[in-house]
Amino acid sequence: MNALYVIAIFLPLIGALSAGLFGRSLGDRGSQLVTCSALILAAVLSVIAFIDVGLGHNPRSVELMRWIESGNFEAGWALRFDTLSVVMMCVVTIVSACVHVYSVGYMSHDHSKPRFMAYLSLFTFAMLMLVTADNLVQMFFGWEGVGVCSYLLIGFWYDRPSANAAAMKAFIVNRVGDFGFALGIFGIFLLFDTVSFDTIFGAAAQFTDARIHFLGLDLDAIETLCFLLFIGAMGKSAQLGLHTWLPDAMEGPTPVSALIHAATMVTAGVFMVCRLSPIFEYAPNVLAFVTIVGAATAFFAATVGLTQFDIKRVIAYSTCSQLGYMFFAAGLSAYPAAMFHLTTHAFFKALLFLGAGAVIHAMSDEQDMRKMGGIRGHIKQTYILMWIGSLALAGVGIPGVIGFAGFYSKDMILEVAYGAHTIPGFIAFTLGIAAALMTAFYSWRLIFMTFHGAPRADEKVMAHVHESPPIMLWPLYVLALGAVISGVALYGPFVGHHFQEFWGDSIVILANVQGETIIDKAHHVPFWVKALPVVVTALGIYLAWRFYIKQTDLPAKTVAAFEGLHAFFFNKWYFDEAYDFLFVRPAKWLGRQLWQRGDIGVIDRFGPDGISSMAKRVADRASKLQSGYVYHYAFAMLIGVVALVAWRIIQEGA
Amino acid sequence: MIVATLCFYLFAGVAIVSGLMVVTARNPVHAVLFLILTFFNAAGLFVLLGAEFLAMALVVVYVGAVAVLFLFVVMMLDVNFQELRAGAARYMSVGALVGLALLAELALVLGGMTLGGVEVSGGALPTPPADQVHNTRALGQIIYTDLFVLFQIAGLILLVAMIGAIVLTLRSRPGVRKQKIADQLARTPEQAVEVVKVPLGGGAQ
Amino acid sequence: MQAAPMLPEILLAIAGMVLLMVGVFVGDKSAKPLTYVVAAALFAALALGWTTPHGDAFGGLFVADKLAYFAKALIVIGAAATVLMAAGRATPSDGSGPMRFEQPVLMLFASVGMMLMVSANDLMSLYVGLELQSLALYVLAAIRRDSLRATEAGLKYFVLGALSSGMLLYGAGMIYGFTGATNFDRIAASVTAMGTPSLGLVVGIVFLMAGLAFKVSAAPFHMWTPDVYEGADTPITAFFAAAPKAAALALFARVMTDPLGDAASAWGQIVAMIAGLSVIVGAFGALAQRNIKRLMAYSSIGHVGFALIGLAAASENGVRSLLIYSAIYLFMNLAAFAFILAMRRDEHAVETIDDLAGASQTHPYMALALAAVLFSMAGIPPLAGFFAKLYVLSAAVDSGLYVLAVVGVLASVISCFYYLRLIKLMYFDAPRDAMDSPMPRDLGLVLGVATAIILVFILIPSPIVATATAAAQELFQR
Repeated sequence: MNALYVIAIFLPLIGALSAGLFGRSLGDRGSQLVTCSALILAAVLSVIAFIDVGLGHNPRSVELMRWIESGNFEAGWALRFDTLSVVMMCVVTIVSACVHVYSVGYMSHDHSKPRFMAYLSLFTFAMLMLVTADNLVQMFFGWEGVGVCSYLLIGFWYDRPSANAAAMKAFIVNRVGDFGFALGIFGIFLLFDTVSFDTIFGAAAQFTDARIHFLGLDLDAIETLCFLLFIGAMGKSAQLGLHTWLPDAMEGPTPVSALIHAATMVTAGVFMVCRLSPIFEYAPNVLAFVTIVGAATAFFAATVGLTQFDIKRVIAYSTCSQLGYMFFAAGLSAYPAAMFHLTTHAFFKALLFLGAGAVIHAMSDEQDMRKMGGIRGHIKQTYILMWIGSLALAGVGIPGVIGFAGFYSKDMILEVAYGAHTIPGFIAFTLGIAAALMTAFYSWRLIFMTFHGAPRADEKVMAHVHESPPIMLWPLYVLALGAVISGVALYGPFVGHHFQEFWGDSIVILANVQGETIIDKAHHVPFWVKALPVVVTALGIYLAWRFYIKQTDLPAKTVAAFEGLHAFFFNKWYFDEAYDFLFVRPAKWLGRQLWQRGDIGVIDRFGPDGISSMAKRVADRASKLQSGYVYHYAFAMLIGVVALVAWRIIQEGA
Repeated sequence: MIVATLCFYLFAGVAIVSGLMVVTARNPVHAVLFLILTFFNAAGLFVLLGAEFLAMALVVVYVGAVAVLFLFVVMMLDVNFQELRAGAARYMSVGALVGLALLAELALVLGGMTLGGVEVSGGALPTPPADQVHNTRALGQIIYTDLFVLFQIAGLILLVAMIGAIVLTLRSRPGVRKQKIADQLARTPEQAVEVVKVPLGGGAQ
Repeated sequence: MQAAPMLPEILLAIAGMVLLMVGVFVGDKSAKPLTYVVAAALFAALALGWTTPHGDAFGGLFVADKLAYFAKALIVIGAAATVLMAAGRATPSDGSGPMRFEQPVLMLFASVGMMLMVSANDLMSLYVGLELQSLALYVLAAIRRDSLRATEAGLKYFVLGALSSGMLLYGAGMIYGFTGATNFDRIAASVTAMGTPSLGLVVGIVFLMAGLAFKVSAAPFHMWTPDVYEGADTPITAFFAAAPKAAALALFARVMTDPLGDAASAWGQIVAMIAGLSVIVGAFGALAQRNIKRLMAYSSIGHVGFALIGLAAASENGVRSLLIYSAIYLFMNLAAFAFILAMRRDEHAVETIDDLAGASQTHPYMALALAAVLFSMAGIPPLAGFFAKLYVLSAAVDSGLYVLAVVGVLASVISCFYYLRLIKLMYFDAPRDAMDSPMPRDLGLVLGVATAIILVFILIPSPIVATATAAAQELFQR
């Protein structure tokens, strides 16, 4: 069995290498075939792993080889298969397989298909490396690997300046987070003398009182390290403050947005917090911080989502908002709930993105919703699929009976927030309910603006509107199935009463004095808490209908009434402008100064240029010594040996 | 023992002086002759040490073969030693300095050895007592029995040297007529003679 | 007297004599087939060495231990690869004449010599092994006897080699005189009993080291290297750069740490001095070179210096790092020379670095491989060369050789310059007349495999690191 799991991890790499290196000889069709079949096989194997490891409670780790050994720093290369990682494996490989197949259709007009498929597969491999990491260094490897792939894929259309700028922005913003993550890893190595998860987790309880002294500050060690690690998570998962890259990342091809910027990579931060739950549990202040940041992101992104017109940006802000939900669940120690929402979200958000891709495809690459509308009759299947995705995202369902995937996972998170009975929990609950209302509103705003009403596109485009080919629709059906049933099917094992049995040792939640965990508390909230999300969702859908179907002049009136607020939301709370003013311009100024004054003026004059001219002089002298005469050489040897002997004799004598 | 001591100083003194003459003699032929003299004196020293076999080997190999070969080379090659020496004179001062330094160092070491009284312990392959085993026999024992493998490897070295000499110098010149007896003997009438039937009045072609 | 541990060498020596006979009777047209047979024989010997018992042979004259096996593996890989690379040049059409059948045979004998010397457990066996190797190399250097440069190179190498052999013998004689033994184990016992090594022993060690330093081409005994590398036929140069370097380094390590381990106070600083000088000479000497073979010669001086930094640490870790370094350097060298051998224009070999200009456009894969090798030589992570330097420097720092470590780092920064210059030439300069393509298959194979090893070392270091660790461990247990 071990071999099967290892194969599942390496299949995407094989796919990526064959498409990347031999793409030219394999041809477009060949590379697509190789990468898609590798991914589908990997997905099947991952499901087998899920059944064996997750449902069969059979965690294991497979050592591949020893990697870096330097002093007492040892890093092996082992793959860790426990419930947490197999859940992620399933999510990653299934969504990735769907996206691969979808891309065959979506990218049919592109010129470099093998490159695209290779990047996608490479990304999948890096992501799998991240989730099956057995130590922090390996995780960091995967972490950076997905970062690089994301950069490559955002900038896939490198002839568009905006794509290049977005790719660079994603890379640089992520560096801020990665810097925190790397510092956290160094700190953990300092404190625990190891980077291996097992050892760290085993020893975490002993270090609760450890302190770190830095620059005259006296800090709690675990709290500080967890804070640094969370900074890394914030960068990757686009949380408030480090979120600015995610909407811009929509410059990449839509399948990329679905796979990387919705379903998998951006959830790596959530996964990391869950994976490190045994340490985070000992950092209550950081957890509170996580909760607040998550809740604030959920609210903030939802408000921005209300006002955007680019169909992909709406979904991107929605992703940001949903990630906020996951984080505040994790911050309240409800890691299983966070993972649950992560899983369901992967399905319906990938569905929404790919659906949006189908719409864009149908509308001849138009992304502005103001130029859409009235196409539901032309692309019925896509229309239905988008409905399913939105229903799942908004979390529609009947409390206590049945519902779409988001209904189970989002409600679980809100119940957790209420059940925590803490101030951060209360804040998170309030903001979460508000975000739920807005989620429903913007989801149906999207559907109504895109599919209903009178066509706003010109006739040429409308004449072209066509249903996507089956190769693009089939993955959507698979994801739709996930969006419908993943909630009801996984509720029991993930967050049911026996959740601890399912997660095993992979997630640690400290119980309170009564031996209750946060999940247990969440099960005992009053009924109105369970019902409220559904009610606000219904309200949101109604409002959307009212605004965009019934009284189409309402949006304009509302905007006029709340002009300032709208501008604030529409401009994404002016984050980009503030960053540009605070960081980008000063950095550019500093860079220019350093370049002109420092580099050219000082360093070039005395440093490289000075040293290199010196080196050249020495080299010329040295080659003069090399005269070519044998007796010169013999002399040199003799002088050498005589000098060495003399040196030794003097040393020995002294 | 006085005779032995006198002989030692005689041999050693002549060896050093003739060694000096080898490098200073103007006529290269004289230099080689002095070299031969040096070898002879070294052989004499060996005899004094009781190593007659080595002494004889030195005479036979170095005097009989190597030095004579040198003599041939020197006489056959027209090397202008004056010119060479003029070049070497430029480096004489440096060379002398290096040589003196080395000499001083070695003197220090040897002085240290006798002054420090370091005891030279038994060799790796202890020499059998001279009164029981003849030293030629002892040498044979070591070379052909104890260290026979080194002897074999030395053989390989000679083989490589031989290959080298052949590779670097042997040239087969095409177009040079040589008598190849084997070829001559192997010739059959069929190869050598052609029988032609000449038609009447046609003449031989 | 046990002979079994030396079976591989015996087999190879016999094979050499048989092949010599074949060559004599068949003539030069057998040269190319012979190269394949020689390569096969080398690998057969290696495999045989794997199965034969380890331990002392011939009454302690030789020893087959893990260090010897490690070094022999490198010798076989280096020799076989370069023999095969030479086969690609068996019948060049540039008028330099066909390959002589003696060439593979001499290479085989040189390999036997190297294998003997890394197995030596006695000063005498050390010397005969070394001479067998050297003599074959002298001849090989001049084997293109119609080329003025080649004969000059051969003669220089021979004269200076004889001088160095003399020094080595003189040193060996003094060590024998002051310890009373030629056998390594007995020398070790004698040195241990001596406490502080006597002056005579120290001087003996210095002379011995001078001889060894010549063989590894460490400064100040390096001056033959650029001339011989440049003058000799390129396949021969490749051979010089690969196997003998690894063998001499292993021998150096054994002689210093096994019999003279307790005299480390006497030789540690000398090795440090030689190592420091070598990295400096390697770094500065190469800057002014336009001929790529001369450049490789200086580069090899620098690399040997680096490996010797490991030896200067005079610790188990240090010897381990030396072995790792020499293994990685072997592969980098093989790849580099495979490329150099493929540098031909209109069937004529070209040797200046300007001929590389624009190679990335005319020969993308070759250029990519060479770039990887050069980056590795410059010590850029995550390539193997970086780890080689890392192991060496960390061993040096562990032993408190901070100055030497700093010198090593500075020298490697300087040497980056000329490695990167080659890459710049290949990638950023306009191509001149294109070199011949495609690359001959044998060369492509060597280049590909060696480059792959350099690239994957970071993922799979254990075949080299673990065996080097075991070898160093065993050496220090004896």
